Amino acid sequence: MHAYRDQYAQLFNDGQDVVLLAISGDSVEELSSWARDDQFQFLMASDPGAEVGKAYGALASRPGMTNRNLFVVGPDGKIAFVAAPFREVDPTAYTELAAEVDKLVPEEE
Amino acid sequence: MRRLVVTALAGIALASAAPAQAQDEAVQPLEVGAVAPDFSLQAGTRYGVLAEPVHLSDFKGKTVVLAFFFKARTKG
Repeated sequence: MHAYRDQYAQLFNDGQDVVLLAISGDSVEELSSWARDDQFQFLMASDPGAEVGKAYGALASRPGMTNRNLFVVGPDGKIAFVAAPFREVDPTAYTELAAEVDKLVPEEE
Repeated sequence: MRRLVVTALAGIALASAAPAQAQDEAVQPLEVGAVAPDFSLQAGTRYGVLAEPVHLSDFKGKTVVLAFFFKARTKG
């Protein structure tokens, strides 16, 4: 999450026409307090029953575990890019993500 | 009697097939081009918990990045 915070401008167009939603099974209170302590500028959502994780196929084979899996949904509501898993220690994973998001964001005037 | 055996065998086959299929569904990520399922989740920001749940449909027309992760306050 810290890499997303630190590279927010490059990866997520600084939030212009892009919404980052980080999802885990933690309570919404826990997620908010972490976002406050570490100054995350994006939304955090609580999926305690992993219902959404299941719907997206974002759960790992170990029961109850979620990998860092990432889905980019285009403005048309369809999946435009999948990183399952998102290789968070690999710099090219970020370059690739930025390029994919960039393709979907309208050109600036 | 024979019929009973057949029924029992069919039952076993179904029982053994079902969990494997369920697991596949849980593990297989959605693919590019699939319609992203809508959802309703409690959400928060660094400023606090939001009063209303967020839905994917709230962000129609925008690019939405869904980053699933395991546990809060972990590295990465």
